[in-house]
Amino acid sequence: MIQKGMWWKLSGIIIFLYVLWGGLTIPLRPGITSITPSSAKTGDTVTLKATGYNTHFASVKKGRAWLKLDSIHAIKSLDWQSTDDNHVSLRFVLPQTLPNASEVFPLHLIIDNETDGAFVHPNALFLSSSIETLSFDAIPWTKHELSQFNDHQGIQFPYRSILNETIRNTFFHVALWFAMFLLLIFGVYYSIQYLRTADYDFDRKASAYTNIAVLYGIFGIVTGSVWAKFTWNTFWTNDVKLNMTAIALLIYLAYIILRGMNYDQDKRARLAAIYNIFAFIALIPLVFVIPRMTDSLHPGNGGNPALGGEDLDHTLRMFFYPSIIALFLIGKWIAELTIRFERVKDYFYLKNT
Amino acid sequence: MNSKSIRHYLLLNITWIMLCILPLTSQAQGLDFLRSTGKIYTVVVVIAIIFIGLAIYLIRLDNKLTKLENHIKNEQ
Repeated sequence: MIQKGMWWKLSGIIIFLYVLWGGLTIPLRPGITSITPSSAKTGDTVTLKATGYNTHFASVKKGRAWLKLDSIHAIKSLDWQSTDDNHVSLRFVLPQTLPNASEVFPLHLIIDNETDGAFVHPNALFLSSSIETLSFDAIPWTKHELSQFNDHQGIQFPYRSILNETIRNTFFHVALWFAMFLLLIFGVYYSIQYLRTADYDFDRKASAYTNIAVLYGIFGIVTGSVWAKFTWNTFWTNDVKLNMTAIALLIYLAYIILRGMNYDQDKRARLAAIYNIFAFIALIPLVFVIPRMTDSLHPGNGGNPALGGEDLDHTLRMFFYPSIIALFLIGKWIAELTIRFERVKDYFYLKNT
Repeated sequence: MNSKSIRHYLLLNITWIMLCILPLTSQAQGLDFLRSTGKIYTVVVVIAIIFIGLAIYLIRLDNKLTKLENHIKNEQ
């Protein structure tokens, strides 16, 4: 039943199932979606109403919260009143004085309890002085120690505002591009092999790998467009990375057209092989160099770290790298099917002419 | 069927997928639906696009194979 050489195809499917299972069932870490009010003055007693996501506020025994300015300046909340799992009211008495001379203080909300662990909502409250004063007192700000945080339990994906659950697209949209790049490397390798040996089979291989890679690229553009609609609120932005990948895809579409021409087979194969090498060389600056030189919404561009820091933490890595392998293996499988089909077709027509 | 028309079909097909999926997500009042529950349905749409796209590519390959099979059968 299972033929020889089937193992990598099956492992591709199994790894992809693992990614689908893990990528869709593992919950997000708790986070805060909204907070009211968003500004306050010194000396106020404010009641912050926080709306949580994946939180368990109602069942919490010991819930604590802080408004944090920096690592030493913070105010602890007086009480914790939750109406349900996702809503909590926190009362803070803001000190009369500010810790130092600054117009507006962005305060971060830290919530900590034994079920959800500790999590932060940056820039939750903007604090400004209620009176024109030049006296500053940091002492009321340093009374409340930030300590004894709880840890969240089990594997959870990071919570990011705006992204929310779509952080899971890392396993599909982002992995598609990486798999596309691997397939293009195979394509260009076979193109070089064709130029070295003039064996027509290498041309078939190069073309099949490049075709599936371009298909992956188009999936990447379409899925990215849908993802952008719900996070950046537009299908297409003037982001450099988008425009550059679109150009790269057009270059590769030209390859497909070139390879599909009705022309002398040897000349066409040689032309396509050379074009493929040039297209690959053009792809590298278009996708990896130019987007890094300007600002971009994509991670890894304009000074943002990509595969480091908190953008891709270890829980995402557990599924991101397997997803690249799985999508690559599935692409390779489809490419092999195309190669075998072309081989049979060429054999058949060669025999009949 | 020569390889030119096969490629032609492929290109046509790909544009067709793009044209079909984009308005589908924008027009229908599905926008709010897709944003609900932490935008999880956006992930579902992304996976569906990949799956449908691969399926269409495989159907095309299948059709091409059937045509070749018929050619071979007619020759014999």
